[in-house]
Amino acid sequence: MKRQNRVGSRLVIGLMFLFLYAPILLLIIFSFNAGDSSAVWKGFSLQWYGKLFQNRLIMESVYTTLLVSLLATAIATVAGTFAAIGLYSLGRKRREALLTVNNIPMMNADIVTGVSLCLFFVAFFQGWGTFARWFNSVQSAVELPDRLVLGFTTLLLAHIAFDIPYVILNVAPKLRQMDRNLMDAAQDLGCTWMQAFWKVMLPEIKPGIVSGALIAFTMSIDDFIISYFTAGSASSTLAMAIYGMTKKRVTPEVNAVSTILFLSVLLLLVLSNIKEVRAEARERLGAARKPSALDRARMKLAEPRFKWLRRGTAAVLACAFIASVSFLSYATSSRPVVNVCSWGEYIDEDLITQFEEATGIRVNYQTAESNEALYSLLKSGGADYDVVVPSDYMIGRLIAEDMLEPLDYSQIPNFSLIDDRFKNLSYDPDNRYTVPYTWGTLGIIYNTAMVDGEITSWSALYDDKYAGNVLLINNSRDAIGEALLYLGYSVNTTDEAQIREAYELVADANRRGVFQGRVMDEVFQKMEGGNAAIATYYAGDYLSMVDNQAEGVDLAFVIPEEGSNWFVDAMCMLKDAPHQEEAHKWINFIASTEANLANMDYIWYASPNREALEKYPAYYEELYGEELDPEVYEIMAAPPETLERCEAYLNLPAATLNLYNALWTQLGTS
Amino acid sequence: MKNKLSWFAVPYVVWMALMVVIPILIMVVYSFTTAEFQGTLENFSEMGSYAGVFLRSFRLAIVATLICLLIGYPVSYWMAHEGPGFQRVAMALIMLPMWMNFLLRTYSWMSILENNGLLNQFFRAVGLLDLLGVEYIPMIGTSGAVVLGMVYNYLPFMILPIYSVILKLDHSLLEAARDLGADSQRVFRKVILPLSLPGVLSGVTMVFVPSVSTFAISRLLGGGTQMMLGDLIEQQFLGGAYDPHLGAAISMVMMVIVVVCMVVMNHFGEGEEQAVML
Repeated sequence: MKRQNRVGSRLVIGLMFLFLYAPILLLIIFSFNAGDSSAVWKGFSLQWYGKLFQNRLIMESVYTTLLVSLLATAIATVAGTFAAIGLYSLGRKRREALLTVNNIPMMNADIVTGVSLCLFFVAFFQGWGTFARWFNSVQSAVELPDRLVLGFTTLLLAHIAFDIPYVILNVAPKLRQMDRNLMDAAQDLGCTWMQAFWKVMLPEIKPGIVSGALIAFTMSIDDFIISYFTAGSASSTLAMAIYGMTKKRVTPEVNAVSTILFLSVLLLLVLSNIKEVRAEARERLGAARKPSALDRARMKLAEPRFKWLRRGTAAVLACAFIASVSFLSYATSSRPVVNVCSWGEYIDEDLITQFEEATGIRVNYQTAESNEALYSLLKSGGADYDVVVPSDYMIGRLIAEDMLEPLDYSQIPNFSLIDDRFKNLSYDPDNRYTVPYTWGTLGIIYNTAMVDGEITSWSALYDDKYAGNVLLINNSRDAIGEALLYLGYSVNTTDEAQIREAYELVADANRRGVFQGRVMDEVFQKMEGGNAAIATYYAGDYLSMVDNQAEGVDLAFVIPEEGSNWFVDAMCMLKDAPHQEEAHKWINFIASTEANLANMDYIWYASPNREALEKYPAYYEELYGEELDPEVYEIMAAPPETLERCEAYLNLPAATLNLYNALWTQLGTS
Repeated sequence: MKNKLSWFAVPYVVWMALMVVIPILIMVVYSFTTAEFQGTLENFSEMGSYAGVFLRSFRLAIVATLICLLIGYPVSYWMAHEGPGFQRVAMALIMLPMWMNFLLRTYSWMSILENNGLLNQFFRAVGLLDLLGVEYIPMIGTSGAVVLGMVYNYLPFMILPIYSVILKLDHSLLEAARDLGADSQRVFRKVILPLSLPGVLSGVTMVFVPSVSTFAISRLLGGGTQMMLGDLIEQQFLGGAYDPHLGAAISMVMMVIVVVCMVVMNHFGEGEEQAVML
């Protein structure tokens, strides 16, 4: 063996580990940051660890992740071991054929597995729904649930499905190495079949089972893509929670949870390695070493007469595990629930707690990225929401496609507090489906430190001067709408030529490299941190960005001279929502003046509640002891003369929507 | 006894039919139908306009795979020649990041590569930015950042199989080659390299397949401008443009291309269970 190159090779290995671990170390260091940035150090603090344990989203997702990984590993290990034994007692031809099918999930890209499982589950649910409705209609003794949705069960099934092949792959070589006559010999010597299996076969293949289980667990913990497509809206793994957060403002709580995870895995690894090293050392030393008290106890326990004690302990532990799991799932499922889906950074989270304390109803609060993404979620059958908060034009589409349930306004007395300006709007002319949540305007947000002079026109978005510094809004309606406005067309045009012209404007700027990225809620950290000069977003969000802007960043907001979009987001209930009573309570609670004031103060979006809108400046003064800047109030609640320059989006005919979709998909390809 | 044991395979065959075969069949059905489930080939004829995404995905994935191979092969080779203690620790260190979720690992790069991120701050502090006369070096949102993310995430998948193959090499073969007069370069070229090829192939597969289909990495580090096949598919299912039929068609084309690549590649290696990781 060559030895002269040791230093060089070790240097390379060291550099590789530096590459692997530097980002993780930085992640850990910034979990102790006093500030909330993950790039600027503001001093040492443990605050994020405290906040982590209060963050329900993260804690619940950690729990889901661990539970699904452990359960999937346990089930996949047992099932995979038996499957491997079965496969290896088949003839060679059949075995090879089945192993090829077994390899499919491993060879396939995760996204293909995820997508195909998602389609399968949804198809199954539809079939089941039809069957259950028929079954319930012909008899009344048993009531079958006719509405199944993606959730923890499908997530678990998917994990088991991609774990099993890894177990088989690891058990198979051990089975191949095993002498097939061993089992026969054991049985000839008087073992029953069961004894032969436990005493002969299992010990032989045990190393394969252990490494298979280990890999299955690793794959489960590491997975994001398959979970993303099969978990639906009700349960999310840590990876999904983080993916959701990276779109918004990532707080160092994520760093804190990474640190804890990393350190606990490190600890486990060190412990298991120490154990292994000790075992090896003991083997080398042979019997020379005197057994310690612990070893003696272990040996005693290993005696046959303690067999039942060992099995009993294992059984008790298993029962305890199952009991705790089922208790937890019972505890969470027995309480009344309402599933709400809204946008990121779009509610004062204290309101959720207040509502839960007042009514005892658990709020399962989720967020979607954009109206179009929400629509996809609803259509793909992945969502189990009761209340959603789409914008005007999307509400029109949902109503047109019969996806909303009419509201019972007698259960929503607070609806009377909504200003008449926001009732009976074009998307819901008889106001049967909606209770407005907020309203506002779309505009350009820019960092005056990175832009010369004032911006007054949408043209800035397509200007080479700002190449690489403009953030394009990542939804077709707003992005193409802005271009339509710039060209002087209506945002609701159905003229294909006009829409294509607007698209060309955006696509051309994209080709020239004007856009740094396509963002939705990622815009917060980008603009606050001074990582981009120009973006378009909503007035309320501009105000919260100003609140959080880093040093040296000075943000400004403008509604361009060509005019803009004004929107209403309203709460509606989905067709056949499972928790209608709770949904009405939630809508009524959110429509109250107090909730609207709290929300206005937290998210800076204007309220449609007449009282709240009027009272807000006084509320602000009382809360902060200073007067609310009238300019801020004007940006928040645009005055009528500004609104006159703005146009609301209407639902578009199907052909135009398809054109939007096709163009939008193409944009990424140019 | 044989027959008795083979019954164990039955539940799994049923399970595979349900969870592997039928889902893929459903995907195939989707890809050949319209939203009203009428037969069509439109989903495939539209594919031409996404050629750019296909090209970019394959280009970036190939680059990432090559880089992984260039780093991974020598590292695994040298690691296999270290002492057992060193190897144990090194293996543990390579596996360790995989128990943190891959999204956490990708996320950690975001704050490093931002225009105002740690790397640019560092460049500013050492005066590199003034030297170049720029305010920052753009890194996030470039294809380089996406490749970096892939290499970072999938490098262990390259190292593990190569390492385990090299570790299992029969040393008497090397000695025989040397005894027959081959110098060390020749031993490497003629003996070690061909024998480690199965490991290389399985490493290449395990890096290439997730790279070509990723959407989280391109989304987080590519800033949405570096759209890849994964993003395209995701957009059709849970993103801004809802069309599962088109999404299924793209998934299918990707699956076929990947399978063809794998079959062609495995043709050069030995066809025996290569994906063994540990």
